Amino acid sequence: MSEKSDLHEPKGGMADVLYEKRVKIYPREVHGIFARLRTLGVVVLLGIFYGLPWLRWDDRQAVLLDLPARQFHLFGITFWPQDFFYLAALLIIAALSLFFFTALAGRLWCGFACPQTVWTEVFLWIERKIEGDRLRQMKLDRAPWTGRKMFIKGGKHFIWIVFSLYTGLTFVGYFTPIIELSQKLVNFSQGPWEAFWVLFYGFATYGNAGWLREQVCIYMCPYARFQGAMFDKDTLIISYDEKRGEPRGSRKRGTDYQDKGLGSCIDCSMCVQVCPTGIDIRDGLQYQCIGCAACIDVCDSVMEKMDYPKGLIRYTTEHALEGTKTHVLRPRMFVYGGMLLLVMAALLYAVTQRVPLDVDVIRDRNALYRETSEGLIENIYTIKVINKDQRDHQYHLQVSGLENIKLINRMGDFTVRSGQVLNVPIYVQIDPVDLPATSNTIQFTLVATDDANITHEEEARFIGAAVR
Amino acid sequence: MSSVEASKPVAKPTPVIQRVIAILWPAFLTSGVATIITFTLFDPQEISACVGGPQISRLGAYTVGFFSLWLLTTLTSVLTCYFQRPCELTNRANGS
Repeated sequence: MSEKSDLHEPKGGMADVLYEKRVKIYPREVHGIFARLRTLGVVVLLGIFYGLPWLRWDDRQAVLLDLPARQFHLFGITFWPQDFFYLAALLIIAALSLFFFTALAGRLWCGFACPQTVWTEVFLWIERKIEGDRLRQMKLDRAPWTGRKMFIKGGKHFIWIVFSLYTGLTFVGYFTPIIELSQKLVNFSQGPWEAFWVLFYGFATYGNAGWLREQVCIYMCPYARFQGAMFDKDTLIISYDEKRGEPRGSRKRGTDYQDKGLGSCIDCSMCVQVCPTGIDIRDGLQYQCIGCAACIDVCDSVMEKMDYPKGLIRYTTEHALEGTKTHVLRPRMFVYGGMLLLVMAALLYAVTQRVPLDVDVIRDRNALYRETSEGLIENIYTIKVINKDQRDHQYHLQVSGLENIKLINRMGDFTVRSGQVLNVPIYVQIDPVDLPATSNTIQFTLVATDDANITHEEEARFIGAAVR
Repeated sequence: MSSVEASKPVAKPTPVIQRVIAILWPAFLTSGVATIITFTLFDPQEISACVGGPQISRLGAYTVGFFSLWLLTTLTSVLTCYFQRPCELTNRANGS
């Protein structure tokens, strides 16, 4: 670990401080356009997270990754473990989107959409409401443990824990029906595993958003470590304009700072105070920077008070800082974007072409083949039919691939209920004269009697002693 | 541990909390992936039907499976961290 740490360590030994003993960071509250955008992100994303499990679709939970039943319901579609491909494609799309947006605009994800950021914002908000602003929080932490301090701290942790447990309930509600789960939790009649996962996820929320906070980004996040690989000189980054800001220094409002040989930075340290990871953006781009833009908001408000132009800290690119042109359309964007569109199109096509029917052909294990009393060669199979549709269907089974091949299906056309698996024992017979080889390929075709589009063909081996 | 600082000025011992994170967290991530793949391929109820063993709900089997995998991957992380220890530290521990 130590051999890598020199790459991104900020000046001034901040990393040493963090590595040795973590100094608690008290981010100052910030107002401005990016703070509003983040609040919007929090409201929308958490609204979706907490609301989605309660949404109904066709008389059941709209989004239910039903682990106990091994079925994933996503609105009108039900996915089975056999549909793992779709999940994999979805993950690839998520990863490619992350690459695309990182190359375009840096760590947008970290600053505005990452669950770690979103939940930490809520926890910080609760903390501020109870303990007061940054200075009050610092004062309270330094103060000796009195009844008042215990009451305030206890109240904060109580609300954090209640909120975390509700988060845990919501999380488990994605995997087991949430209405029944919450009814059971009210009566304390839930299963031990559900209870365990509510507590586990609740604890993770409380620990990550209440205690670990920026340490998750700095020590635990793999993306934070490799996102630099997607960056180039045209990527939007949050940067301090050193040319304009330096030399920094305090001055009275309205003085001609250029005359005193100073830059625009008044060295108020507000940008450090608002930073949730406790870095100084003026030291340059650091991997601890989650791109939340809090320093932009606060610096702009300071510049406004000083009657200086805004944007001493701003979203910019390395090229722009060097005074050259920024290229939004560049090969990297086309590669990431093209791959993204390709996988998305493939997934969309696959989902629309998906047939909600799966068939497995299992050969009888006892005998390769047998001869009937009429002298025909007979193979025995079990056809495993999985109805992945949300309706019941009746199916018709056919066999093909050899001339004069005969199917004996004692069940006739059979019905499989929605989401059920049915095993159909069948016999396939042929006159040995019509058998071209010892081992032959045959096809079983299953068609829903009410919908010809729901069909599945499965190959199988037909074995028998050929006379030719 | 403090003797290391005397001989090598740059190398400071990694704090316990970071070592704990470095062991448990990668193990957590990989065991999560392993759990998803394992239980996509195998239905725990079919396994217990074939192998026998105690009756357990699917959610229970997933939980036990996840924590068993986490234990295993944690062991891997522990060994990685253990072998990453500089050789000279081992020499010193054996020598003096």
